Amino acid sequence: MFNEMYQSESLIRNHYNNINEWLEKMTAKMINEKNAEAETHFRNIGITFSTNSETIRERIIPFDLIPRIFTFSEWSKLEKGVIQRAKALNAFLADIYNQGEIIKANIIPKELIFKKKSYEVSMFGFTPPRSIYSPIVGIDLVRTNHNEYFVLEDNCRTPSGVSYMLENREIMMRMFPDLFHTNRVTPIDDYPTRLLQTLMSLAPIKCNTSEPVCVLLTPGPLNSAYYEHSFLSDQMGIEMVESTDLFVEGEFLYMKTVDGPKKVDVVYRRIDDDFLDPLCFNPNSVIGIPGIMDVYRTGGVNICSAPGAGIADDKAIYIYVPEMIKFYLGEQPILENVQTWSCDKDDDLNYVLDNLSNLVVKEVDGSGGYGMLIGPKSSKSSIEEFRRKLSANPRGYIAQPLLDLSFSPTLIKNQVEGRRVDLRPFCLMGENAQLSSGGLTRVAMNEGSFVVNSSQGGGVKDTWVLAE
Amino acid sequence: MLSRTAEYLYWISRYMERAETNARLLDVGYRMSLFPNPNGYNNEWESVLAAAGAIQGYKNKYNIIEQKKVEDYLFFDEDNPSSVYNCILNARNNALVVRTSFTPESWLAINKTYQEILKLKNNNFNASDLPNLTEWTIEQVNLFRGSLSSLLRNDGYNFLYLGLFVERADNSARLLDVKYFVLLPKPQYIGGNIDNMQWSILLRSLSSFNAFRWAYDGNVTSTKIADFLVLNSDCPRSLSFCIQNIVKHLTNLTCSPEKVSKIYNTLKDLNTKIQEEKIESIVDFGLHEFVTQFINKISSVDSDIQKEFFN
Repeated sequence: MFNEMYQSESLIRNHYNNINEWLEKMTAKMINEKNAEAETHFRNIGITFSTNSETIRERIIPFDLIPRIFTFSEWSKLEKGVIQRAKALNAFLADIYNQGEIIKANIIPKELIFKKKSYEVSMFGFTPPRSIYSPIVGIDLVRTNHNEYFVLEDNCRTPSGVSYMLENREIMMRMFPDLFHTNRVTPIDDYPTRLLQTLMSLAPIKCNTSEPVCVLLTPGPLNSAYYEHSFLSDQMGIEMVESTDLFVEGEFLYMKTVDGPKKVDVVYRRIDDDFLDPLCFNPNSVIGIPGIMDVYRTGGVNICSAPGAGIADDKAIYIYVPEMIKFYLGEQPILENVQTWSCDKDDDLNYVLDNLSNLVVKEVDGSGGYGMLIGPKSSKSSIEEFRRKLSANPRGYIAQPLLDLSFSPTLIKNQVEGRRVDLRPFCLMGENAQLSSGGLTRVAMNEGSFVVNSSQGGGVKDTWVLAE
Repeated sequence: MLSRTAEYLYWISRYMERAETNARLLDVGYRMSLFPNPNGYNNEWESVLAAAGAIQGYKNKYNIIEQKKVEDYLFFDEDNPSSVYNCILNARNNALVVRTSFTPESWLAINKTYQEILKLKNNNFNASDLPNLTEWTIEQVNLFRGSLSSLLRNDGYNFLYLGLFVERADNSARLLDVKYFVLLPKPQYIGGNIDNMQWSILLRSLSSFNAFRWAYDGNVTSTKIADFLVLNSDCPRSLSFCIQNIVKHLTNLTCSPEKVSKIYNTLKDLNTKIQEEKIESIVDFGLHEFVTQFINKISSVDSDIQKEFFN
């Protein structure tokens, strides 16, 4: 097991020395006060996520006061690795919606791509500006050793969580200014500016202004990431629109304003493909902008991320990302994939069925930490239940070994205890490819737990990248 | 600015204003319940309900008019669309959507108010808590209004203030309408106890009790009070002040000049009239008729704004 702070039981890693001293000075009373302050702050600014529960409409994610720290050199490696991956994923999308070279080269079987629901037929033969399909790529990483990281999954559609990355830093700077005097923490507050530049650099062909009009398209206040939508549009100074605010006329997309219609050039959409255009996708959808796909395909507007970008983060495609990196970039992958058995292959399925109690089994289309089996942590009966599910629908599952996620010091009832963490940095792909100087660290707050998802008892931490 | 944003801003300040009006009305009712009254103070609660425009809804729910029930209905009741709770909830839900269109302080002011009223609602309150509740409400609304001072003076600002003054014009006029008879000259009552009490209700519910004394010398007369509440443009809740501000924020809008002038043309006459009119001639014409006309005009301005800008 790898601990982010302790090299051994008595030895603190250098870059955690300051934090350790700070922790030793903190009394239980101070910790309680600061925890309460953070909670009040998060509630007041409204950084909550909606739940379906009747009694608690809005929850806040538990916030741990101890930051997770990366040294400059640790981060440099991650940075190269994530950008490499984001480039390959975009190249893959450009390829499969055009010539399909990777299929012709027999690297990825074609049925794995063309039969997927997330493959968007209407995108075939169309290339978005700069060939960028996924301008914001969130890569979920775990660390298992000093120099060993694995990518758990890629998020090429609309990865969320960046508002937590930014707000966690804000609250830390507000509560513990001294920590930022004694540690050289790379700032992250330019992320929204960079995001806006990225979107502006992706203006469509027919846009003839140097300052394209960007909007953020949200499904509305009931969406669990609504806070993030309003936060980001506010930070970027762009309108947050719902689909009823937009309409198509002639070759362009417009929003309804008090001045009358205003042309929109780039839509940063935070809604799913299905709800974009009822004429093209789901005809029963009451939300969506009829005709937007025609405007998109004729260069009147850009939609970020591109419809159909989701195929690149499919769990079945994930297996091939290292191959993609070699194929498109001619480079060796910097970050490793987790060994994955796809249960639609007979050999793999047999292996998985024989080793269920040692493996993690996930639904191909699942998310949020639901619908998964953690073999070593599960009872006999739930293992047997999964055995039945797997045999009935092998295509629907993949299996991976249980990774030994690194531990990060975490305050549990005012005591410092090790808890497992993952990391989601955000990579922007536009005129430049760049990585946020930090990311979202999620922490499994329950002892022994491997599940970091907020829906299942996960919390968050501020993530520091130390300057060189 | 998005049409929807303008609409939500407009409604946020309407809801906040309405929350304050309700709180003031409750405060008036509470004061009245502490004074001996030959007619029994239940009447007072009934007129509080009437002024709040909530009498029908209340009667659908309760058979008798009773302090605790009125308080609960006007403050916390989720069934009353205009209860302080619902006003704050609606303002907050709208603010959630347009928080990017005003300052973080404005959002904080509304969201904190919402968080606190959730807690207040879950604690069973006593009748004697009412002064604290009303004071709290007024404080919260003031916090929100104060936060607006750091806004850009753009169209969003003007829509916020249009909402505020349309709501206030409507509230002031309705209150006058419920109580107009108090202001009719009835020489036999002048100086009588009832009159004083009724007048003070009217003035207090428009947060103008002390201000009136400063604005007018000499004896308190019904004509002076009517003048104060209808025509005095120094009084921030008078009909005159409200209409002037509606005109001001309407004409300050930079969007769609043709729509602005269309609405302005329908308001122009009333605005001029209210600046030039003498209170005596309004009373001769009929205060009730005047106020009714005013209410209708405000309501048509409201629907014009919604039609022209928000659709």
